[in-house]
Amino acid sequence: MAKNKTMNHKSATNWKKGVTIFLFLLPALLLFISVLIAPIAVSIYRSLQDWNGFSEGTFIGLKNYKELFTNGSIKFMVALKNSMILAFFSVFVQLPLSLLLALLLGRKIKGERFFLSVYFMPVLISTVVIGQLWLKIYNPDYGLLNRMLDALNLSSWKHVWVGEVGYALGAILVPTIWQYVGYHMLLMYAGVKGVNPDLREAAMLDGATNWQVDRYVVIPIIKPIIKVSVIFAVTGSLKTYDLVRILTEGGPFQTTEVPSTLLENMLFLRNRYGMGSTISVMLIVLCFAFALLISAAFKEKDN
Amino acid sequence: MKMKRLVSTLLAGAMALSLVACGATEAPAATTEAPAAETKTEEAAPAPADTTAEATTSDAITLDMWCIATESDSNRHAYEAAIADMQAAYPDITFNWEAFENQSYKTKIKAAVSADELPDIFFTWSCAFLGDFVDAGKVYCLDDEYQNWKDELPEVMLGNTTYNGKHYGVPTTMNIVGLFANMDLLKEVGYDEVPGTYEDFLACCDALKAKGIIPFGCAGKETWCVTEYLESVIEKSIGADELNDIFLGKATWNNEGVATAVDTFQELVTNGYFDPAGVGLTNDEVKANFMAGKYAFYMNGTWNCADFAANEEFFPKVKVAEFPVVDSAKGKLGQLIGGPSDTLAVAASSPNAEKAAAYAMELGKLICHYGYLDGCGLPAWIPYGDTSSVNGLTQAVSEICANADSYVLFGDTAMNADDAQTYLSYVDQVYGCQVDGAGFIAGLAADIR
Amino acid sequence: MEDTNKKTKKNDSSKIHFEEERYTIKKTNPAVKVVIFVFLGIWAFVNLFPIYFMFTFSLKSNEEIFGKNVIGLPNEWLWSNYAAAMKTGNMGLYFLNSVLVTVAATAITVIAAMMATYAITRIKWKLSSTTNSFFMLGLTIPLQASIVPVYVLLSNVAKKPVIGGIFGINTYASLIIPYAAFTLAMAILISTGFMVEIPYDLDEAARIDGCGLWGTFFKIIVPLMKPALSTIGVYSYLQCWNEFMFANVFISDSVHRTLPVGIKALSGQHTTNWGPIGAALCIATFPTLLVYVFLSKRIQESFIAGAVKG
Repeated sequence: MAKNKTMNHKSATNWKKGVTIFLFLLPALLLFISVLIAPIAVSIYRSLQDWNGFSEGTFIGLKNYKELFTNGSIKFMVALKNSMILAFFSVFVQLPLSLLLALLLGRKIKGERFFLSVYFMPVLISTVVIGQLWLKIYNPDYGLLNRMLDALNLSSWKHVWVGEVGYALGAILVPTIWQYVGYHMLLMYAGVKGVNPDLREAAMLDGATNWQVDRYVVIPIIKPIIKVSVIFAVTGSLKTYDLVRILTEGGPFQTTEVPSTLLENMLFLRNRYGMGSTISVMLIVLCFAFALLISAAFKEKDN
Repeated sequence: MKMKRLVSTLLAGAMALSLVACGATEAPAATTEAPAAETKTEEAAPAPADTTAEATTSDAITLDMWCIATESDSNRHAYEAAIADMQAAYPDITFNWEAFENQSYKTKIKAAVSADELPDIFFTWSCAFLGDFVDAGKVYCLDDEYQNWKDELPEVMLGNTTYNGKHYGVPTTMNIVGLFANMDLLKEVGYDEVPGTYEDFLACCDALKAKGIIPFGCAGKETWCVTEYLESVIEKSIGADELNDIFLGKATWNNEGVATAVDTFQELVTNGYFDPAGVGLTNDEVKANFMAGKYAFYMNGTWNCADFAANEEFFPKVKVAEFPVVDSAKGKLGQLIGGPSDTLAVAASSPNAEKAAAYAMELGKLICHYGYLDGCGLPAWIPYGDTSSVNGLTQAVSEICANADSYVLFGDTAMNADDAQTYLSYVDQVYGCQVDGAGFIAGLAADIR
Repeated sequence: MEDTNKKTKKNDSSKIHFEEERYTIKKTNPAVKVVIFVFLGIWAFVNLFPIYFMFTFSLKSNEEIFGKNVIGLPNEWLWSNYAAAMKTGNMGLYFLNSVLVTVAATAITVIAAMMATYAITRIKWKLSSTTNSFFMLGLTIPLQASIVPVYVLLSNVAKKPVIGGIFGINTYASLIIPYAAFTLAMAILISTGFMVEIPYDLDEAARIDGCGLWGTFFKIIVPLMKPALSTIGVYSYLQCWNEFMFANVFISDSVHRTLPVGIKALSGQHTTNWGPIGAALCIATFPTLLVYVFLSKRIQESFIAGAVKG
């Protein structure tokens, strides 16, 4: 009899425990599933439809996906290309700069905290603010850039920065890179600071210079962080929206479109929610794919 | 921003000869019996403010209206004056109205449509925009009510809000594309009048360029501004009928005439007639530049007349003319781009739909009247009263309209949202010299759904 | 240059140096040091100048900005620009809206994250690490994935009579809930980092005292999670305060607008009057900078947490 009682008590406790666990998880699960997980499923479903957002959609299979690439007025390939260019510059210009700064600051130099704080500041500012600010810098008549060129007698180098086809993408690149150098720098700096000082000393004792210590000791140790930075940089480039919307609105002549601005246009200018979902799905797939690719690339390098 | 122009752009009205309604193929259906007995008896007298209509039914009702005549909208005053008149005339109708910003209005209205929460009367753009709502059965048909107003509102003006032969909207104004010219600058190169032929026009532009004056002001950032030029060129090349058919989806884009016209337009671009900095400017900035004397020509809607007239320094210098004919085989004078677009419609879900319809009709007439007097639009309704105060520019435009026989609606308003975007995308590419005429028609033929 | 240093130093009594200076066994060439400092200084200038520029042109008149005094400090400090931004630009309202949305979203995130982290880290059950991985997926999902379905859902909800007013389009909830969801993954990550530091003995002690799981949570864990609170709070604040895409899409009226969208609208209205635009930018930025000055360490920690541990 006593045994039964204990066993009942135990299963009752287990049951209570299960309920408790569930309740603790409930708010997070609700938020997470309804806003993050379910929409992915819904997006996939809707991407196979022709849908204007309020009446019933008609199933059209993979036609949206095909149209993404064939319709000359939906500049998906251009958008992808722009994202890739952004990603390229992020990884090969921004990250090396961040790395350099992190390494330098990690060397116990004067003013370390000051520089760290200053370099990180742009990350905190809203991209909308940064976009507006740079618009004032890029303005062809009154902007800082053209005026500076005038002052330096380089007037022939003046351009309509956000309006000319060759220059608009560059005009977007500069603030993007500028803003997030500090972010990647901070991540790498944390890693650099985490390097065991004994390792540094050992290398120094062997006669290594600071740069050699950095190259052979520090960088290999912070590789995981570099990997994360690269993933963030690339997926971030795919997700770019704010600066493009503010600086060029996808122009001139749709040459600076990015997937997110295309997505917005699909929804609000064209009423094509099915196609919008298609772009969403493509974005998710691409983000995951690149994250996996980059992880794999780093694993190989280790081997 | 594109819609901002649509606010005051009007769709090209149906041609006088054949009623080409958006989405409709037959002439408007003959409406049935007279309106029900409880409809108010309106006076149909053209007198503006002193309406003496009494409601036959005197139960106080409330009517709500949504529009986009915000404080900064050029039609604001017309709305306010018209509503003041209506409120004075119908004291037992409580009229509540709200104005919303252009861009957010679109989403707001669409959300309201699907929720069946439309106000009694709402502002809309004609053709495809309203058409979607009509197809969903959310708009009250105005055929019956129109019978009371036949003499004051030419049926052709309803062409853009006629679907399947029935009328669903009340036009509040009308606008066309006009070629505005700064005569001072033209005089500098020896032109006293706006060039009347295309060859002359090109010669004038060359002369202007030689003198360092930029011929065309165009906000490349806002593609609709480019269409103001492009559509005129196309219309004066292939004629209004063909263009209308293409816009309304009745004919294919695969039209050699269009390709040639687009190439003609592109020549204007490659000849450097457009302001190179224009691609980074908004329309407001371009307009300000025009008034400051930076450009010789500005091709844009006639809603600008009011702004030009208000600028005392600039007003004496500006003249408006019709774009010259490019290909006289098919293009003619008297064919214009434009028409009625700003429209008031009545919600089918309104509890007082019939009264709302009558109210909307009269309100539309008054808005049109005051708008015309203000010079920010042309009369879609037959003008009445003392119109001598209308500014000279608008009067000149009225005369051009009086001599016109066909209108082609602006492309991006004639087509539904998706096709309009496709169209604008290709216009953009033409302006950026990324595709030529052949590429333009091929792309549109393939991509318009 | 380095090589000669190597040669001379190698036979040196470097071991003696070792005790005194740990990092300068090799004396860095002073020239290189100067170059490094110049470089760091230039980059610091590049970072600070735009902010300085923004602040100064927010106080200048158009003439100064366009002509007379582009870069320098304003000759005349036009605080009226700020007044204009607040009045016609409605920056005050947008500021309050941003505050409301941010605070609410942060509160929800913190509560949900703490509760979930407690379940994952302090309660022993089979699926705890799977659940953790599940939530960590959220770090990789892009915003854009959700925008279409959530937008349509909100539009549909907006039609319903009562709920529509609270949860539909153009409501605060339409932003608060997605924001909370998007910061959740990181919040859980940060919480996990902090919560595992709390010794399990405390849990045991509480258990012995008769507290159930709930009691332990409220009496022991929550009070000890204060540092996590500020770290999460800071991260969430940054995400919500600066978020643009959802705010632009979900809120189309001007009553519920948040700062980023308000700035865009303002610059649309004042294309030629730059002063008030600058004022608006400053209004949006200075709270953040203030928070940064006081809480910089926390802010940096929260950002590091994601990468180092993830």
